[in-house]
Amino acid sequence: MSAAPDTLSPTVHLIDDDQAVRDGLGLLIGTVGLRVQPWSDPQAFLGNFDREGIGAIVLDVRMPGISGLSVLDTLVAQGVDQPVIMLTGHGTVDMCRRAFKAGAAEFLEKPVNDEALLEALQNAVRQHVRSRQRNEADRAARERYAQLSEREREVLGLIVEGLTNKEIGRALGLSPRTVETHRANLFAKLQAPSLAQLIRHYAALVDADDGTAGGGGTA
Amino acid sequence: MWQSWQRLKWWVSGGILLSLAGAVLLARLSLDEQRALFETDARIVHRLLSQQVVQHDAMLATLALLQPVPDSSSGASSPEQRLPVLYPQILSVQRRDPEQRWSDPLLTQAETRSRQVRRAALGALDLPAGRYQLVLAATPTSYALTIDARAMVPWSEWPMQADTSPVRVTLEHDGQQYVVQPGAALDDRPSRGWHFAFHKLLAAESQPFDVVATLSVGWGQLPWGLMLIWVLGVTALLATLHHLQRQRSARRRAEELLRLGQVARLNTLGELAAGMAHELNQPLTAVLANTQAAQRLLNEDPPELATARNAMLQAAAQARRAAEVVGRLRQTVERPDRSGQHQPVAAVEAVRRALYLLEPECQRRDVAPVLDAPQAVTLLADPVALDQIVHNLILNALQALEQVPAAQRQLKLTVSAQQRRGEITVADNGPGIPPEVLPRLFEPFFSTRKDGLGLGLSLCESLANGMGGSLDATNAPEGGAVFRLQLPLAEGLP
Repeated sequence: MSAAPDTLSPTVHLIDDDQAVRDGLGLLIGTVGLRVQPWSDPQAFLGNFDREGIGAIVLDVRMPGISGLSVLDTLVAQGVDQPVIMLTGHGTVDMCRRAFKAGAAEFLEKPVNDEALLEALQNAVRQHVRSRQRNEADRAARERYAQLSEREREVLGLIVEGLTNKEIGRALGLSPRTVETHRANLFAKLQAPSLAQLIRHYAALVDADDGTAGGGGTA
Repeated sequence: MWQSWQRLKWWVSGGILLSLAGAVLLARLSLDEQRALFETDARIVHRLLSQQVVQHDAMLATLALLQPVPDSSSGASSPEQRLPVLYPQILSVQRRDPEQRWSDPLLTQAETRSRQVRRAALGALDLPAGRYQLVLAATPTSYALTIDARAMVPWSEWPMQADTSPVRVTLEHDGQQYVVQPGAALDDRPSRGWHFAFHKLLAAESQPFDVVATLSVGWGQLPWGLMLIWVLGVTALLATLHHLQRQRSARRRAEELLRLGQVARLNTLGELAAGMAHELNQPLTAVLANTQAAQRLLNEDPPELATARNAMLQAAAQARRAAEVVGRLRQTVERPDRSGQHQPVAAVEAVRRALYLLEPECQRRDVAPVLDAPQAVTLLADPVALDQIVHNLILNALQALEQVPAAQRQLKLTVSAQQRRGEITVADNGPGIPPEVLPRLFEPFFSTRKDGLGLGLSLCESLANGMGGSLDATNAPEGGAVFRLQLPLAEGLP
């Protein structure tokens, strides 16, 4: 894990008004191979940081001008998905609760122990990567699903319910051969290597589709 | 100041109003009583005089009925002539025999009137002298009585002291007046005041004299003594109430101030602690981060010596920064020198003040403090600091006593002096101080209470030291904690 940071490695945004703290924590975080982007001014951070990148945010609660909690509120309101770790010099239970309620991933007290901080950061980054990947897969599946014709979606829905080609043909008034053709087409369009994979990736989409189109169909 | 004057104004006006109302009521009652007495007396006077004059009618009627005995016409031994002997008010009896005329034409007129109205009629009338004549026409002989009103009054049955009574009684008729009882002389009668009057005709139609009784009561005759006592009583009562109320509100204010002071101190301490935490946590965070980063860098293979060295330099610099923060804090918090404020203070008074302020706390815990001060001890101290120390020590003891059943709680305060030092001790019979706590008792931020800041005793000790004294704590052999505050005695004073 101590590989030299490159441009693609996750980035930790470190926001603290104190230069010494930024330097010290930056050095510490750097030892586990995470890239550190220090910010002294919360406003500058909010205006300029890379929202698309993978990583996490470390935010001091007590800063001049703007409180860490309101920075957190702004991030959540803007739909920023990078996990936020809050740091505070004198954490009260109340402040801790507010931070978690506002969506903080972790709440740590200064001076912070290296293991607690680094573990929290690694968890946060891992979680972020996973959520980004899941989002990406979901988006791709949705795009492929959109390419299906009306009839292919019907066939897919019945496949997901576990019907055989014959049963599907009977249900839709089609010959088993035609069903077979639709089935081959939709496997190709959805790029599914097996029936199991098809069901795992698309069952949810079919259910959602049924929920919205089903009502109109029976009326 | 203005507010207290406003409040006082209400008390004063309330007092004046209450005094006036009471005085008026007293005067009214006294006047009513005097009037009732006067009217009763006047009625008795009227009845007594009426009984007398009715007798005259009866005498004349009897004479008229008997008529003179024919052979005693000589007149000397006539029976009617014996009347003046029996009745002192009858001065003389005249008679007009048939075919004769009255010597006095007034008697003739009276007889004519008497004949018309068929009852006795008045003849000559000289009321100022108290004389009048009464004539009854009869056939053949008519009789006349000359009556002395003065002798008519039955003084033995008279309801008043004739010579001293202020009531004036007169008989009035036809513009004439006979003074039965003079009452207060005309000049002495008050022109301002209350005038009571009684008018009633005598109960004899033949002698229709008006009985007039008057009484004047002047301002001077009002029950001033009683009214004065009332006003003084009201004033005393209101003054007492006002004093009590002021005492109560002063005490409430003192308690309030004390509570506010404690809250303010806690707030200040809270702010201080938060600021201190931030100021210290920043460099400490940097120190910790740098040292731990250095450790990791040194553990790498090969170790990144240059970066690690730099991290250690950073850590050292930040440690110095933390030390500077602490130094600055001490300078800020250090108390200014208050030795100029030292003055002679009676130790007993300081203890009493603290006990007075803490009385509600004592009552709440069923603790009756005992103060033992056999001699007057005058300390040289800052009165504010002394009050604060004693207050804290007593409060501490009260809190310790909460762990003892209410019936057994004892709190004893002692004031004494030895050589050149005065001493105040506060002893409770609580659980005492655990031996492991004793050496740390006066350390700042050390507290055995969960919610304690651990500054109370530490502050007391520094205050005592600042006044050239000392504060120490021991456990009494019979149990409980004893705190001993020693301070220098004021020179030249006991």
